[in-house]
Amino acid sequence: MKNRDNAAFAYLYDHYSGALYNIILQILNDTELASDVLQEVFVNIWRKMDIYDSGKGRLFTWMLNIARNASIDTLRSKTYQNSRKNQSIEGNVDVLRPGDTTRTSVDAIGLRRVLEKLKDEQRRLIDLAYFKGYTHEEIAALEQIPLGTVKTRIRNALIQLRAYLK
Amino acid sequence: MESYVLGLANEADGAEFEQYCITHPEVKAARIAFETELEQFALANATAAPAVVRTAVLEQIAESPVAGNDAVSAPVVGMRPWVRSLAATSVILLIGSAILNIYYYNKYRESSQAYNRLLSQQTGLVKNNNLLQARLEASEQTIAMLSNPNMKMIKMAGDAVPARGSPDTSSMAMVYWDMQSKDVYLMVHHLPQPAAGKQYQLWAMVNGQPIDAGVFDMPETSGMMKMKKVPEAQLFAVTLEKKGGSPVPKGPMYVLGKT
Repeated sequence: MKNRDNAAFAYLYDHYSGALYNIILQILNDTELASDVLQEVFVNIWRKMDIYDSGKGRLFTWMLNIARNASIDTLRSKTYQNSRKNQSIEGNVDVLRPGDTTRTSVDAIGLRRVLEKLKDEQRRLIDLAYFKGYTHEEIAALEQIPLGTVKTRIRNALIQLRAYLK
Repeated sequence: MESYVLGLANEADGAEFEQYCITHPEVKAARIAFETELEQFALANATAAPAVVRTAVLEQIAESPVAGNDAVSAPVVGMRPWVRSLAATSVILLIGSAILNIYYYNKYRESSQAYNRLLSQQTGLVKNNNLLQARLEASEQTIAMLSNPNMKMIKMAGDAVPARGSPDTSSMAMVYWDMQSKDVYLMVHHLPQPAAGKQYQLWAMVNGQPIDAGVFDMPETSGMMKMKKVPEAQLFAVTLEKKGGSPVPKGPMYVLGKT
């Protein structure tokens, strides 16, 4: 039983690690950090396997969200550490300048490439929500737009994105 | 629905959506369809991870016996009830202990101060006792002297000094003369304190000649002072000389006594 589990998990890793690594990389923009997070993510998947509820979603969705959450946590602690080194009290995270959305160090592939097809305002919101992990309320406060507008725009953006996924 | 799958929905909306999936199978089907698209898209855009990660992961896996063993990586969400009450008890005990500490320290300080007071009291008592002992000895000596049949007492008084020569006529001293051994003892009853550099001297007058019987300092206690032996004398007197004494009496005579 034990050996079968391990073998099955190795297959899981081989099949999905690339997909997850990609997402992690797009959030963190740092190969070293991304490697660490990927490792952490798979170990967590292994440990939490009995918590996974297949009724709520597919296995990949569950794994993807573990990966995304771990990446955002790491991003936040990294940015926090960086902003402590800076003089300014305002963290780097709060200020999103135009052009920030597309980072240069990692090729814009996958979701990010698709993001470029969106309108600026839509892209901005998706970036804040998906890649930076802000809640709708936080985005409304950051962008100075009503909460309702945030939700509508994100919804529209996702519908658009979905068309591009196919 | 897309928000839910991507992990963007908040708790309330998420729970609501899950309910929909249960009650409306078509909603669940739509969700699954999107999830599949997402997976395929992600796989299509996969980036190979460094090989070291694979090794590291499989190594770590090997340490946990069974998949789904959450015990090792249990997140620190909160304390379980019994742990919480244990922690609360510990805090209470710690606070209690701290309070006791303060209380006992104050007690200790009090005791320490009381002890120091007792110590100084005792030192005072010891000194006092020593003084009393010395006085007692002196008194015993006097009694012994007085009971000695061979002892002759000569009273020397300030007013006995001729021509009122004594600087202090109230001065008084006693000579105890052992007629057998010829020892002379002196007891001062009242003499003014000599000035610095001065000392009292006892004389024995023998056939008109003053003989030095010794110098003496003011005794601390009213004790006997042993002076020089005097084989014969008609008079005893005390004068104030310079320190160390004088071969012949030069200073003023304070007391005089006839034998």
